[in-house]
Amino acid sequence: MVMGLYESFVYSFLATIAFAALFQAPKRTLIISGVIGAIGWVVFVYLRQHLEYNSFHSNFIATMALALVCELSARIFKQPATVFLIPGIIPLVPGLGMYQGMKQIIEKSFGDGVNILLTAGTDAAAIALGIMFTASIFRVLKISATKKFWNK
Amino acid sequence: MSLNNLNRKQTLDIAMVLGKVLLKSGAETSRVEDTIERFCNKNHCYGVNVFVTPTVIVLGDEEPDGYSCVSRIRSRSTNLQIVSEVNDFMYNLDKWELDYQETMDFFNGKLTEKPPYNDKLICIASGLASAGFSGMLGGNSHDFIAAFVTGFVAMLVLKLLGGFRPSAFWENALAGASIAAVAIMCCAVSVQCTMDKIIVGAVMPFVPGVAFTNGLRDYMAGDLVSGNSRVAEAVLFATSIAIGLAFVLQAWHKWGWNLW
Repeated sequence: MVMGLYESFVYSFLATIAFAALFQAPKRTLIISGVIGAIGWVVFVYLRQHLEYNSFHSNFIATMALALVCELSARIFKQPATVFLIPGIIPLVPGLGMYQGMKQIIEKSFGDGVNILLTAGTDAAAIALGIMFTASIFRVLKISATKKFWNK
Repeated sequence: MSLNNLNRKQTLDIAMVLGKVLLKSGAETSRVEDTIERFCNKNHCYGVNVFVTPTVIVLGDEEPDGYSCVSRIRSRSTNLQIVSEVNDFMYNLDKWELDYQETMDFFNGKLTEKPPYNDKLICIASGLASAGFSGMLGGNSHDFIAAFVTGFVAMLVLKLLGGFRPSAFWENALAGASIAAVAIMCCAVSVQCTMDKIIVGAVMPFVPGVAFTNGLRDYMAGDLVSGNSRVAEAVLFATSIAIGLAFVLQAWHKWGWNLW
């Protein structure tokens, strides 16, 4: 089933804001976290369901897009990037996959269970890679921009 | 007054409290290590070694007659507000106005401070998150409302039983069981609800997706021990919530209405 993009934006916006509140994020960052989470999910839905990329690639690219917005807003709003990142990746992270895999294993269909768990593992790896990739680009930029200050 | 002329012991004291506050608020281990190291270096306290896992902070220097402190962290929650405040503190260290004792009191107060959202708001947020996810994964409007109720009730049960201090395993199993029970009731009330979509939405506040991803990030950053413990924690939580859910669902499939 293919989801509409506007629809996904609204739902993931809601879910991300709620999760930011669950994680006790500062009140003025709630809306921004919501937008960031929604951006990640919309990119993911577009790649995965409309263009039919595979799960690893769509997760990776969606996370890179999201982490880019995260780092930018971290600089604009003077917050650590984690404050936006942790709620922002919520729509993408494979928590559901882990739960479903464990459920299959409990119900004794080991093949399906391990299959789902390993897919969850590769998805999580894709997300982690995407975050690291964007973060290291920003770190390199920052170091090369502030080198004079460090050596002073 | 400011934090300018700290001696070695005072520096390590404040660094330890900073680390404790950060780790208890669910910051990544690399951030905790980085904060402690930067604080020490800023106060001319070099050669400090710090080792952080999700359950312990070890802080000491390399000299044989140096200080060394260990702090055991027993309970962790996620509180991004505090992570943000500590980050502010680190960035504005030069403009910080409190002296050593006041700073210690300030951060020790953070350990017991109430989080910005109270339990009522957390329950509503949990319901909203569940509803949003059931919509994202293709549920209809009935599923949306049912998932809101389910997520709300599950978090309410957790908060009500929180006073008994259950271990994390039982906490999640209970959440799973209450999700399954409420989802079954919702399906009995309205025929247009699909059980799968409700459950899929309502488990989202409890499944350890972020913990798992953070574990993999720790691996990639080279923090093997904390990566291991976070991944293990994630697998444990996923198992416990699946056990709680499967228990109630299978009881329902086996006996159905005879349970009454």
